[in-house]
Amino acid sequence: MNVLELDRITKRFGRVTVADELTLSVRQGDAVGVVGPNGAGKTSLFGMISGDLRPDAGEVRFDGHRVTLLDPSVRCRLGIGRTYQVPRPFLGLSVFENTLVAAQQGARTRGRASYALAARVLGETGLADLAGRPAAQLGLLQRKRLELARALATRPKLLLLDEVAGGLTDPEVTELVALITAAREREGLAVLWIEHVVRALTATVDRLICLAGGRIIGDGGPLEVLASPAVKEVFLGTADALTEAEDRDA
Amino acid sequence: MRYIAGFIVILLAGVPYMLGPAVEQPLVTLFSLVAMASWWNLLAGFTGLTSFGQQAYLGVGAYGLYVLALAGIDPFVAIPLAAVLAGVVALPVSFPVLRLSGGHFAVATWVLAEIFRLSVTLSPAIGGNTGVSLPGISGYLPLLRQAVVYWWALAIAAGSVLAVWLLARGRYGLAARAVGDDPVTAASSGIRVARIRRWAYCLAAAGTGAVGALLFTHTLYVQPGSIFGVQYSVLMMFMVLIGGLGTIEGPVAGALIFFALQQTLAAHGPWYLVLLGAVAVAVTLFAPRGLWGHLGRPLFPIAHLQER
Repeated sequence: MNVLELDRITKRFGRVTVADELTLSVRQGDAVGVVGPNGAGKTSLFGMISGDLRPDAGEVRFDGHRVTLLDPSVRCRLGIGRTYQVPRPFLGLSVFENTLVAAQQGARTRGRASYALAARVLGETGLADLAGRPAAQLGLLQRKRLELARALATRPKLLLLDEVAGGLTDPEVTELVALITAAREREGLAVLWIEHVVRALTATVDRLICLAGGRIIGDGGPLEVLASPAVKEVFLGTADALTEAEDRDA
Repeated sequence: MRYIAGFIVILLAGVPYMLGPAVEQPLVTLFSLVAMASWWNLLAGFTGLTSFGQQAYLGVGAYGLYVLALAGIDPFVAIPLAAVLAGVVALPVSFPVLRLSGGHFAVATWVLAEIFRLSVTLSPAIGGNTGVSLPGISGYLPLLRQAVVYWWALAIAAGSVLAVWLLARGRYGLAARAVGDDPVTAASSGIRVARIRRWAYCLAAAGTGAVGALLFTHTLYVQPGSIFGVQYSVLMMFMVLIGGLGTIEGPVAGALIFFALQQTLAAHGPWYLVLLGAVAVAVTLFAPRGLWGHLGRPLFPIAHLQER
């Protein structure tokens, strides 16, 4: 069964098209990677799924509901959890409170149940020891973990990960990937994952989508997509141009 | 410590018997400041809504009390009704102003208070520009009236601090603090941002309306030019920032500091205002979390701690 369906969504900012009649579906429990050059429309795509952005045309369906025009808070309560590329924790709240508020509002738990859910998620994301710390004091890796903890505490059916591995060292990426894989296996949730660190993706996802100019130019097994000529052109085309430019400069 | 606070309130309740009107009068001012600041803090400190127009609800509270008293209701009984009226008036108003945030919200609330002031000025039925005196109060002997005003002031101040504390430490308060920190993340964490802000706005209006009604029973006279004055919002901001934004003790501490400065220095005219400004600048520079924010452990904690 499809948990998410995008039906010909279109979004333009002035003359820039970030989604061009884009159609996509994600099945329950799927892990789908999203790659593409800068400006391909990856984060905008997430915005239209989570509700931070409204498409100009087309329809977004989630878990049997038409959510195209719904507020982000309603979509979160329906089961869409998201992280932001640049972590945006609630800086005035403690790590525990960041997770607790998501458990209370997103997962709609109360009292002891909400405390237990928040504590459990902090344990799973390796933040248990930092629970009492103000979120403002966290470093980048910890903020990325907290971003993930906050999203997981809303008990999502679909998790949108926006470059959770960006800016981290290799061992940190490995740790984070393990954590996400564990969460997937435990909850059976679907994951849509934007990442520039392709290594992190290929290790985790069973399907890869390549976006360029607001269109899907590759969709299938990760290795197959990365090997396709259209995808190669988008990525390696620019790489070739770079090499040529460097050659000229030399 | 909380029990000490309760004890102090009980002690203060005895002031009319022990010390009489000379002490009552200034304390009514202090208590109204505490209440005003606490409600302003619910908006700005917890929910991230910096209002410059809370004087609108001081006015609605005062003029609401006038209308209720004219209708024959005892003014002291009508104080809570005037508060409810202010909260109800705030509801439709909240829809346009809460579409804005940050500086736009601040200016919009101010403009709104000016509209309220002009509407009263242009309504001869409620006294127009000259103002009105409180009807239905002549049945009280002055000594008793002053004591009742004092008790109401104490009840409103203590009730406001307690109400804001209970709100801030609960489920609602946690969501409100998240909204104040980052409304975008808040929404994508499942928080109904608009609803949280609307509640804060209407409750703060009701609390401020109670203070407006109280001030009317204290001064017995109200004029649109003074009750709708923007200096009230400046005052609320001063007290909360000095004391500690987003803490329960901050507005109380700020009110005490302002009150102390006012009582000792008011005689020196303009220098008093210069000093207020200097204090505000010094605190902002050297103690940005406010004086209470730097004093350590809160007496009225709002944090949610993990159960071990």
